[in-house]
Amino acid sequence: MTSTEKVLDVVGVSKRFGDVEVLSDVSFQVDKGETVCLLGPSGSGKSTLLRCINWLERPDAGQIYLSGKQVGISNAGIVMNDRELSELRTHIGMVFQHFALWPHLTVLQNVMEAPVYAQRRPRQEVRDEALALLSKVGLFEKRDAFPARLSGGQKQRVGIARALAMRPDLLLFDEPTSALDPELVGEVLTVMRDLAREGMTMVVVTHEMGFARDAATRVLFLDRGRVVETGSPERFFADPETERAQQFLQRFAVANAAGRH
Amino acid sequence: MIHDFGIVWSERGLLLTGLANTTILSVLAAIVSLALGILLTPALMSRHPLIAGMARTFVDGMRCIPFLLFAYIVYYGLPSLGLRFDNWSSGLVALMIYNTAYMAEIMRGAWAAQPREPIEAGIAFGLSEFRLFRRIILPPLLLSAGPVIGNQMIQIIKDSAFLTIIALPELTHAASSIQSRRYVPFAAFITAVFLYWGLCLVIEAAVSSIGRIADARR
Amino acid sequence: MSQGDIAAIFQGAVVTVTLSFIGILIGLPIGLGLALLRWAKVPIVANIVALYVSVLRATPLVTLLLLLFFALPNIGIPIGPTSAAILALVMNTSAFNCEVWRAALADFPKDQYEAAQSVGMRAGQRFRRIVLPQIIQVSLPGLVNEMSLLIKVTPVLAVVGVVDITRAAVRIGAQTYEPLPPFLVAIAIYAPIVFALVSLQRWIERRQSAAQVMP
Repeated sequence: MTSTEKVLDVVGVSKRFGDVEVLSDVSFQVDKGETVCLLGPSGSGKSTLLRCINWLERPDAGQIYLSGKQVGISNAGIVMNDRELSELRTHIGMVFQHFALWPHLTVLQNVMEAPVYAQRRPRQEVRDEALALLSKVGLFEKRDAFPARLSGGQKQRVGIARALAMRPDLLLFDEPTSALDPELVGEVLTVMRDLAREGMTMVVVTHEMGFARDAATRVLFLDRGRVVETGSPERFFADPETERAQQFLQRFAVANAAGRH
Repeated sequence: MIHDFGIVWSERGLLLTGLANTTILSVLAAIVSLALGILLTPALMSRHPLIAGMARTFVDGMRCIPFLLFAYIVYYGLPSLGLRFDNWSSGLVALMIYNTAYMAEIMRGAWAAQPREPIEAGIAFGLSEFRLFRRIILPPLLLSAGPVIGNQMIQIIKDSAFLTIIALPELTHAASSIQSRRYVPFAAFITAVFLYWGLCLVIEAAVSSIGRIADARR
Repeated sequence: MSQGDIAAIFQGAVVTVTLSFIGILIGLPIGLGLALLRWAKVPIVANIVALYVSVLRATPLVTLLLLLFFALPNIGIPIGPTSAAILALVMNTSAFNCEVWRAALADFPKDQYEAAQSVGMRAGQRFRRIVLPQIIQVSLPGLVNEMSLLIKVTPVLAVVGVVDITRAAVRIGAQTYEPLPPFLVAIAIYAPIVFALVSLQRWIERRQSAAQVMP
């Protein structure tokens, strides 16, 4: 269910931390409705790449375009100030590995906070939508609870609702289930699969190969900061072209066989 | 301005005497109050309600009143009870007694945070009480309390400056004297400020090196 | 001690409480401001703040007070005893408060801040809605501790002629040749105030550790 409207265009992005080149000349595009999974071993730069998209990390080289508008650089060609960058970020939602909920606010307040304060939408409208989103992720009953009382899976679903409340053009997921106990992973992946099926444009960094195989429209395999292989999930998992991809998938086959899923 | 500092430099003898007095006062007060504090700590934690009560009253009492008020009581108040101290002795005694309370509280906190096993092992191995205390209990206690004791030392140095009010010739008093005679207030007091800062840095460096020794032993 | 003497001590108490209150009130936000300058790593300014805080924390209040009172008029800024006292108290307490705020900011979970960035909240909103409410909670014990320290340091203001509780007590003792009774009255005023603050601090600490134990 994709159209050819380009939501995300990443061009030649590089990033180094100190001496280490974490990303080297990475380019890819995401069309509306696509679900792109970034896969790769630890240290391959997947998370850094994701965080460059909304400029939580600043790329050292390259450009990033969201629906044609450049991220981080204003029309005048200079670095965006906080106001401009924040405005642009309201169109990109992000879900964090460790949930990053705000502990002093209730679940409902967490979801309502940004639409009310960053987007200045009317409170009643935001509230109605927030409650609907919480129902959608199955947490309506927990709306007045504080995050400390929730399980990991519940917290992450709140995190997803919070990101959705912004009505973003693009949703970024940074290893959304890596910090969860195994029995809680499923509830989060279910929400993510539903979102993908409904046509949300998503970029997901994950180790959940099952999700990548079932829900992704495309996978990108990164190794040591470079896009080594890209293609449809069917082709990638069944018949990886490059040696590094093959090694990577073998390790997961072993883990699979050991009965993790 | 440079001229002013030149004047201060010409009076450096007085300043250095003041610095020396501050240092002597503070070091003596620190050592004695630490020693007395260590002796007071067991009383503080005693299960004997009367002993613990008296110790607790003393510690809380000292920590609830200003140091300068206590110094005044020693200097101005005690003579009416027949105990007359000169300003040096008053200052020193006041510093020692006041900080004994703080040191006792610090050591109590450090003791509460200590692991019990090494001590129990010492008892199991039949070490005598005194040896146990000196070799097994005290060293790690002092090492872990190092930073807090260092902080308290800095506090003692700063409290010593209060004693300028009872005309004790410590550093601030020296700076004051230079200022009032030679009309160089900024130069005189800024120099004193930086000398205090220097003392503080020395203590912080000492605490860091103790910390490094502690880490090496861990 | 006559009634007039007791009145004099209570007048001193008014001075002590007023000056302490002003010092605390102004010192809290200034300390926060200094801490923010360091947290935001504003170039050059952050280093100046670090130096300023380090020197001020090492400087006895009496020395700072004398410096301000005598040196400022010397360079053309006239200043009276009360203003010098307030300025010295504020400079002193803001430096200590800065360290308390800074510790809370340093411990602030980075991903909560990034979450606020990622939903497009602007810097002011991020700070006001997400960071501040939480660091106030964390900083409270340290800040209350600093308040009780400030009160204990106020007798020093007498060097520039400010008549606080202690100075009033000393005066009365000198006049009546009975120094102890006024000192006891002074203790009776200081001790409850400081004790109340210390108890408040312990109560806050207990409540916070209890909140962390709860699931």
